[in-house]
Amino acid sequence: MDKPRLVQTGSRLRLEPLLEMENWPMIRTVVIAGTLLLGVGTVMADQDLAVKQDNLMRAQGKSMYGVLLKTVKGEIPYDQKAVDAAIADLEKSVPTISTVFATNPKEDVVNATYGAKQSIWKNKADFDAKIPPVSKAIAEVKGTVKDAASLKVAFDAIQEKCTGCHETYRVKLK
Amino acid sequence: MLRRILLVAGLAGGAGFGLFWWLTIPAVVAANALPAYQPDLANGLTTFNAGGCSACHAVPNQPDRLKLGGGLAIPSPFGTFYVPNISPDPNDGIGRWSEADFITALQKGTSPAGQHYFPALPYTSYQHARVEDIRDLFAYLKTLAPVAGKVRDHEVPFPFSIRRNVGIWKWLFMDGLPFTPDAARPVSWNRGAYLVNSLGHCAECHSPRNFLGGIIGSQRFAGGPDPEGEGWVPNITQKGLADWSAKDIAYFIQTGQMPEGDSAGGAMARVIKNTSQLPPQDRAAIADYIKSLPPVEGPPRPPKKAKNDDKS
Repeated sequence: MDKPRLVQTGSRLRLEPLLEMENWPMIRTVVIAGTLLLGVGTVMADQDLAVKQDNLMRAQGKSMYGVLLKTVKGEIPYDQKAVDAAIADLEKSVPTISTVFATNPKEDVVNATYGAKQSIWKNKADFDAKIPPVSKAIAEVKGTVKDAASLKVAFDAIQEKCTGCHETYRVKLK
Repeated sequence: MLRRILLVAGLAGGAGFGLFWWLTIPAVVAANALPAYQPDLANGLTTFNAGGCSACHAVPNQPDRLKLGGGLAIPSPFGTFYVPNISPDPNDGIGRWSEADFITALQKGTSPAGQHYFPALPYTSYQHARVEDIRDLFAYLKTLAPVAGKVRDHEVPFPFSIRRNVGIWKWLFMDGLPFTPDAARPVSWNRGAYLVNSLGHCAECHSPRNFLGGIIGSQRFAGGPDPEGEGWVPNITQKGLADWSAKDIAYFIQTGQMPEGDSAGGAMARVIKNTSQLPPQDRAAIADYIKSLPPVEGPPRPPKKAKNDDKS
């Protein structure tokens, strides 16, 4: 059998013979290396997506707990501007959950304390159905919060709907 | 010669089976062993909330936690359990049960038909409860609305499906001892220890289990892999909760809010729907006791692996 060689046809260079048996190990190596690279690429993309989903939850957690809960508990002074901003952020961010959680990243964020349950991807419609009640709770309390006492009522109402989903679809990893 | 061998083998087999049968006789509480008693419905309610009955027995995906028609699926390494109806419905619930049937179920893990219950019903913890509390609870459950509908059978594969084997499991993992208070500790701590170890059955999820599904005593409360298959149950000894004050623990089981600025999810969210209804002094007692648990290292985490689609 001939050794592979470069053959010129007009202006094109061609490696010949391409599909002879001797070239299979090389082709196989290329295919395997390519698959591995693709695999690594996929894993990285998954982790990125997992981080993106985690970050969305963290951002909402910051409004809920970092601002609203701390104010309810009196750990930070009542600041109408900060409270309004936190509620406005939640109002904008919550409806994006169903699109940010559109695809299964198939892995958890490295070293994360919480993750998304795999059952989300089997019951995506049910998962998505748990989001509008959160938005509704936010819309209902918006504008009613005038002091620490009314904030507590609003916080509990929103929190209940957050838990409505976390109970089924969030998993503790640590 | 062969005849003798067969005879000896037969006798040994018979004796072995006899021993197995004797060891696995389901225990019961006899009705005539119970003294006359006037149940206290208020304490029945507290017992109901401390026991977390509705965390599993409430009909899933509806808001009424007193609708005890069951139906929740509990996955485990031994199969999937479907929580039964414990509403007072005479046909599908426990409406026809006697008080002794109820005490037998919770403290011995035996059904009115004389079968072993699977330990998905945490009788390993309930066995330590005061009989009076259980009698009050029974009276309280009778005041709730009956819910029609029988729940499907458990999906437990062979050999775990053989109920008689649960008798061996009980022999290995149930001590049958009542709760004994520690006289050196305050009353509140002892109340907490009682609620956590009997009715509250906290250790059932917050402890690692061996390959037979028994709690590893030396690592009680040290957390471990979630028996439902995904995730990790946290260590609630001081190894895991050193940063939480007793007040933080009490606040958590009232509101679900953690000091680090997060909230409970998963099965703990259902638990908190019950503990939030307890009297504040009971929550404080539970917190005192949990805060006193010495630090214990939990089981090691398994190496990280990617999830696959067919797992849930």
